[in-house]
Amino acid sequence: MSVFKDAEEVYAFIGGMFEKAVQEPSFIEATKNTGLVVLVTQTDPDATMLVDFPGQKVLVGDAAANATPTVQLRMSSDNSNKFWQGHLNFTLAMAQRKVKLDGKRSVALKLLPLTQPLFDTYKQVLRDAGRDDLLV
Amino acid sequence: MPEVQMTEAEFEVYLAKARELSLFFREIGPKYDVDNTFAYPSIKAFKDSGLGALPVPKEFGGPGGSILHTSKIISELSKGDSAITLAYNMHFIMVGITMGLMSETQNKYWLGRVADGEIMFGPFSEQRAGFSGLADMKAVPQSEGGWRLYGKKTWGTLCEAADIITTNATITDADGNLPEDFQERVNAESFFIADFNVDEDGQGDGIRIEKTWDALGMHSTGTHVIHFDGLFVPEDGFICEWRSGAFGVLEWASLMFASIYLGMQYRVLEESRAVLSKKTLGATFGAIVAQDTKVATVGHIIDGIGDMASRVELSRRVLYQTCQDLIDGKDDEWPLELRFPYIGLAKTFIAENVMNMTRHAMSMVGGSSFRRGTIFERLYRDSAASMFQPLNSDQSRTYIGEVLLAPEQLND
Ligand SMILES: Cc1cc2nc3c(=O)[nH]c(=O)nc-3n(C[C@H](O)[C@H](O)[C@H](O)COP(=O)(O)OP(=O)(O)OC[C@H]3O[C@@H](n4cnc5c(N)ncnc54)[C@H](O)[C@@H]3O)c2cc1C
Repeated sequence: MSVFKDAEEVYAFIGGMFEKAVQEPSFIEATKNTGLVVLVTQTDPDATMLVDFPGQKVLVGDAAANATPTVQLRMSSDNSNKFWQGHLNFTLAMAQRKVKLDGKRSVALKLLPLTQPLFDTYKQVLRDAGRDDLLV
Repeated sequence: MPEVQMTEAEFEVYLAKARELSLFFREIGPKYDVDNTFAYPSIKAFKDSGLGALPVPKEFGGPGGSILHTSKIISELSKGDSAITLAYNMHFIMVGITMGLMSETQNKYWLGRVADGEIMFGPFSEQRAGFSGLADMKAVPQSEGGWRLYGKKTWGTLCEAADIITTNATITDADGNLPEDFQERVNAESFFIADFNVDEDGQGDGIRIEKTWDALGMHSTGTHVIHFDGLFVPEDGFICEWRSGAFGVLEWASLMFASIYLGMQYRVLEESRAVLSKKTLGATFGAIVAQDTKVATVGHIIDGIGDMASRVELSRRVLYQTCQDLIDGKDDEWPLELRFPYIGLAKTFIAENVMNMTRHAMSMVGGSSFRRGTIFERLYRDSAASMFQPLNSDQSRTYIGEVLLAPEQLND
């Protein structure tokens, strides 16, 4: 049983975190010329999000699947919930094939330093929605 | 990869120094192989050469040599004596690794010291498992800040010359308990840098050298056991989480090892040509029956030298091109998970070739090469070390094969 009921919940919380991030001035500055367009594909429940950092927009579902990313990140929705709260060691998860990161290394590696500041944003999104049950 | 800051004209000056130092290593190498100790006179010579600063970027006081420049210098030194050079290779590896992982402030301080001539070493491997084993060595947090390190590192190459130590240890709770959860243990394994102050008997405050090194080859590396009996590392000696950090910079390890064994290949070819171009067997009655047989006219010797030269040239190209690919950012095109083992192919390819060459050199030169003290038996022994340094051939193939055979779905 996944911690998320359905894709809509994923979009509301993880997608919601990305929505905040792409509008955040420090992120806009940090991702200005990076070409960082991340396709996040989650399983169980299946969900697809495209985070276009330079374009400052987030697409979900079919709209995301049809766009062109520069980096692809795949993981289960449960691991995504842990990861965006800072509870999944990325290198270990990659080595254990719990997470898959594809794309040009130079672009993909720009994503990792950006994840840390998102942990607090994600936790806040969950708290604001009264979903403390998703906190790990 | 940092940008290449050194011009080829600047590099020529360093290469000339390396040629000079290589001759000195060549001269003293046999004595320290026989004595089975670290080659102590090499310390002053290495420091005087200024070569240790080569990869330090200009902004931290060095000349900003690239990974390819460093590789060429190491091969040049290794041509003189691979064992002595393998010791100083640890310095270059650790300078390369730390400079990619330290903060600006740390780089300024520690690389500044390297630019002034100080030497780094890096004991990571432990008894239970080598490089891939998570550190059993503990970093116990102190109430006043910082950590005390407790444990034992069994491969401390260059310890007798080093001023700076870099190592990995797992941060424990205040009572010294290692995390039980696997992920927490990975998270807690950390990379540290500290002063390495020991007296002439190898005794320091919370650290000591136990002189245990006695191995098949690479005698003058001085690869002793390092005991950590509570070495204090202040907070600013923490570099990063070890495995995540190392993932991106381990090319400095594998390509510098590759450079050592390329230098050894140059030497094997040089020594084999020197003997085989002159050796005369006189009257023979065997595969060749003749009144006077020069080995340089024997088919398998001619082929053998051609084979060796081909291996050297292929190895050189593989190594130089791998370094250049990294400088040019071509590794961007490789699958992320395969980047490290693919870089490591240069090392495993060269390791397999150097071992082939040292064995083949002995068979071509003949039984005289088997006598203790000849260059060929030394190269044969020393080349065997190439099997072990990370990644080894077996692990590289497993790593690559696993990635390529992994099912599409992720495991959870
Ligand atoms: C001359 C010399 C100098 C050295 N100097 C240093 C130094 O300065 N600092 C330092 O830290 N180390 C040093 N080493 C140690 C060296 O790099 C290795 O770490 C060490 O030889 C032990 O590791 P290993 O992998 O060979 O053996 P082990 O880790 O004991 O491995 C045993 C076997 O298990 C396999 N194996 C190990 N891990 C895995 C894995 N994760 N997956 C699959 N298979 C695995 C290995 O391939 C091997 O077959 C030196 C070695 C030599 C020969």
